[in-house]
Amino acid sequence: MAPKSTGKNIEAETVLQAVVLADSFNERFNPITLDMPRCLLPLCNTPLIEYTLEFLAVAGVQEVYLFCREHSEKVKNYVKTSKWNRSYSPFKIITIVTPEARSVGDALRELDSKQLINSDFILISGDVVSNIHLKQVLDAHRARKNTDKNAIMTMVVKEASPFHRSRALGESSIFVLDGKSQECVHYESVELYPRKRRMVMDMQVFEKHSDVQIRNDLIDCQIDICSVPALFTENFDYQDIRKDFVYGILTSDLLGKTIYCHMVKDAYAARVRSLQTYDAISKDILSRWTYPIVPDSNLQEGDSYEYMRGQIYKEQDVSLSRSCVLGEKVLIGAGTEIAENVKITNSVIGRRVSIGPNVTIDGAYIWDGVTINANCSISRSILTNNVVLEENVIVNKGCLLTYDVIIGPNITLPPYTKLTSHKQTSENDDGDISEEDESGNQKAASFDISNLSLTDNESSASVISDGSSEEESDFDGPTTLEVFSKEVTQTLERAFSEGHTVEIASLELNTLRMASNTTFHDTRTVVIPTIFGQINTDKLLPSTKDVLSRWGLLIGKLVHSKADQIDALFILQECCAKSEIHNKTFAPSLRILYEIDVIEEDAILEWYYDERSKGGVVKHEAYSKLRDAHESFKRKPSDWDILDFLMNVIRNLSSQRVGFYLTSLETIIKTEEGAFNVSVIQAFNASHKVSVGAQSGKSGIASYSHKIENISNGSISVRRKRTISQESKYNEHVTSSMPKKRNKKDYDIRDTDGSMSDDELPPVS
Amino acid sequence: MTGSRDLTAQIESLINRLRRRQVVGSWSVSLETALLFRQVVSVTRWSQVGTLIKLVKDVGRRLVMAQPRELAVGNIVRRVLRLIRDVYNSEVSSNSVKSVPQKGGRLYELQSYGGSNSFMEILNFLTHSFSHLKPSIISELQEMINELENMYVNIADQAMEHIHSNEIIMTVGKSRTVEMFLKAAAKKRKFSVVVAETSPTYLGHEMALSLSQAGIDTTVISDSAIFAVMSRVNKVIMGTHAVLANGGLISVSGAQMVATAAKHHSTPVVVCTGLYKLSPLYPYDEDSFNDMVAPDSVMRFDEGDLIDKVTLINPYYDYVSPELVSLFITNTGGHPPSYLYRLIDENYDPEDTDI
Repeated sequence: MAPKSTGKNIEAETVLQAVVLADSFNERFNPITLDMPRCLLPLCNTPLIEYTLEFLAVAGVQEVYLFCREHSEKVKNYVKTSKWNRSYSPFKIITIVTPEARSVGDALRELDSKQLINSDFILISGDVVSNIHLKQVLDAHRARKNTDKNAIMTMVVKEASPFHRSRALGESSIFVLDGKSQECVHYESVELYPRKRRMVMDMQVFEKHSDVQIRNDLIDCQIDICSVPALFTENFDYQDIRKDFVYGILTSDLLGKTIYCHMVKDAYAARVRSLQTYDAISKDILSRWTYPIVPDSNLQEGDSYEYMRGQIYKEQDVSLSRSCVLGEKVLIGAGTEIAENVKITNSVIGRRVSIGPNVTIDGAYIWDGVTINANCSISRSILTNNVVLEENVIVNKGCLLTYDVIIGPNITLPPYTKLTSHKQTSENDDGDISEEDESGNQKAASFDISNLSLTDNESSASVISDGSSEEESDFDGPTTLEVFSKEVTQTLERAFSEGHTVEIASLELNTLRMASNTTFHDTRTVVIPTIFGQINTDKLLPSTKDVLSRWGLLIGKLVHSKADQIDALFILQECCAKSEIHNKTFAPSLRILYEIDVIEEDAILEWYYDERSKGGVVKHEAYSKLRDAHESFKRKPSDWDILDFLMNVIRNLSSQRVGFYLTSLETIIKTEEGAFNVSVIQAFNASHKVSVGAQSGKSGIASYSHKIENISNGSISVRRKRTISQESKYNEHVTSSMPKKRNKKDYDIRDTDGSMSDDELPPVS
Repeated sequence: MTGSRDLTAQIESLINRLRRRQVVGSWSVSLETALLFRQVVSVTRWSQVGTLIKLVKDVGRRLVMAQPRELAVGNIVRRVLRLIRDVYNSEVSSNSVKSVPQKGGRLYELQSYGGSNSFMEILNFLTHSFSHLKPSIISELQEMINELENMYVNIADQAMEHIHSNEIIMTVGKSRTVEMFLKAAAKKRKFSVVVAETSPTYLGHEMALSLSQAGIDTTVISDSAIFAVMSRVNKVIMGTHAVLANGGLISVSGAQMVATAAKHHSTPVVVCTGLYKLSPLYPYDEDSFNDMVAPDSVMRFDEGDLIDKVTLINPYYDYVSPELVSLFITNTGGHPPSYLYRLIDENYDPEDTDI
């Protein structure tokens, strides 16, 4: 190795590189991001990526690698035509499209394989707004590297308070730092659920460091100074830079690498991670926390903002009527016309917006080209490009109207409505036209509160008011469970046709079960009906006997305890209850299963006395717990976090994570404090498109409980309307154990017919 | 041509650096601007002075737009324009039959290169190439750059006339001009300085540190003590960000309070400023040249719940009205505020007030 002094010189001469992750690898901003990549969404009328690039330009970066995945063409074109591609641009910008990357880890591995990075580089996501002087951080990082050869990364964190508005709820983290050197000795990401109550730290931490700080008040800006990314390639399973990489490095004894934090005290840094932070950061920009990155710095070419008293920013060529009132924190883009008696406060208005007379706008984000006609009222919502509001439209808080939506006249949108002009990709019941569609050219795609949390916490109770809204799924494609059940069915059919032994079939099933991380219960719910499907209905009883004596043992392989047996019985019951023919097979099957020792006497008795088997009111575990929670209902500020979380669970359902999230949900149910409260249930309910009409009634609560049961059993499958609910057998199971008000007398074959009775179904418009 | 491409790159780079505030401070901004214009004049090809003026104006306008709060940029642009006009006028007056009013005499005549409608002159103007003026314009520009570079020394040289032994001087904020001025005086005289800490920037702390390191007897007072201490102060010496056409100052926030207190006690307020800070613009509104910076220093960002509900405004500058100022010490000597109009007229052409 060269002597130190020359090494330093070389370091000073190397090109400062930055890697910008222009994709967020999540779908927080759906449905806006269906048309536009997140990094090009306007924040205070400037595309998000500009803030990051500007930040890098100030930091003196000379080469920028821009990673993009979705809408990569749009990003590429944008960069191509932007000022960053001119000869006088402070840095060279290279766009890299990685359509196959599913996570930050993938992107970094790609980066490493391209061998582009040769020294320390800045890793930053494409949605950072910051005015930090990165030079100090870089210098500090280099200085540290000279003293600590193992230092591989410096994370930039900003001091804030635990519940700061600019701190992304639900994605916070705890940093354990050495008080003197700011070395990060432990990192714990704080998922909202399961709520972490304890954190395990190595005792060595305290032995090595005399002064240990445990901090939960830091905004993680996701600005990192990293040394060569090879570690990502070595650890191919790392997905997330924080949860996997940092945690992995710090907990690993082998690597012996160290990571430091750089605390930013008097500068601003935050990330637009969700709609909540979008709102917060917009406000921060308007109240000039990000100075000099403020609208009147006119960082983009062609901008002409001027600051006016009261934090009003107005571009040139705005026509304001004589009687309009601009309150505090208002930004108005060029070419906008504002008519008489308009009141605007705390809002961002884009370019070429036309606002008719007597309109009231508060806390709204109105993007370019929007037309708002007379007497509309908008509060705390986002109207993206070219939305048209006809006369007398009232947009309540938390609405999200995406590109080219036209609404009205005379319509009141309930809070948290999301409208898009896209057809939903999932099976969409085209016959359903909701109230919002009156303008005729709109397909109101989803009624969804999900993570649009531009809202106050206290508003959560009034979430769903409009029972007539559509009940549709947010899912594109089958859930893991559906995939699983399909595979199980196929396996079994092969086993039937090829005449496998029970042992081989059970081995295959076990493998499948482990691969999809599902429970025995799930397997049983699929296996039992499939086996019953083999029964020849013409020669019912002999066939039943044949099939069950051959394959009943397979059920036995899936049953281990008495509880399992009871569960199997319920499934059997449900399966037999489906049709008149199968009804007759129940008793014989039970006998056969008893004879081949799959189900024992105790279990049968217990099943028999269980009220569920009688179709009576459900006394379900989850139900009673839920009711307890309901009674000790205390609203917590984190309701919306839970909601956010839930939606993420649903959206980002990947096979590895399912089990994890499910345990999380179970934990929620088990929480004694009632953290899992009504509003969450409502939220969840809404996300599953179950009307709230029945929310106060018993059946409503029961249906929630089944939702939860649904989840805790390992499925996030969504129940849509009856027609759709028959799709998967699993769903039938759920519905079959729904509480019954009609008490059928026929106890021999317990009445658990697959279709739900009407009184439990949500009213459908 | 590579030269002109280089020039475009240089112009864009300065524009961007101005925007991003990578060049800050009136002095460095002015110097950069002046150097850029020397480049503009020497690299571009022009035969008509009108073309050159138009070019300089275009570039100047873009620079001013990039950072409208740095008035020094506009001042330098106007100086350059004036300088070009002067060179041209003296050329024309020496050559043409028609006598063009001399520099001193044109004070109230809105006379410039296109101002005369004499046929001969227009003909002359259109046909004659003036590219031979390039060297003289560049040398004038160089002179201006030298003047900028020697600015601090020129001002500090006058320190002896204004600071006497055993005086108590009050200052506010941190100004390099004032710092040099006081340090120059401290070489020969013994006096003490009271520095107002100038919250929320606390530039006063830095100032005091620098002064005490130079062996000056320095006291830091909190801003609330300014009025109380003022009765003992002989003279207030402060710097400024810009001087406006009416003699008003755009100065660090807190300066207005110091100046008002001084007025109450009839303490003279002396402002040290280079001429490049003198702007022909008029403040029609107290906010007009102010800059609202991040409210971080007023209330910390981690007061999360509070900052949501409170509007925080942190103006960086104060407007100090001309009645509160007794004397300007510029690199060309001391002038009362009432004399500024004359300085403006000497330095800038009335046509260039709006770039």
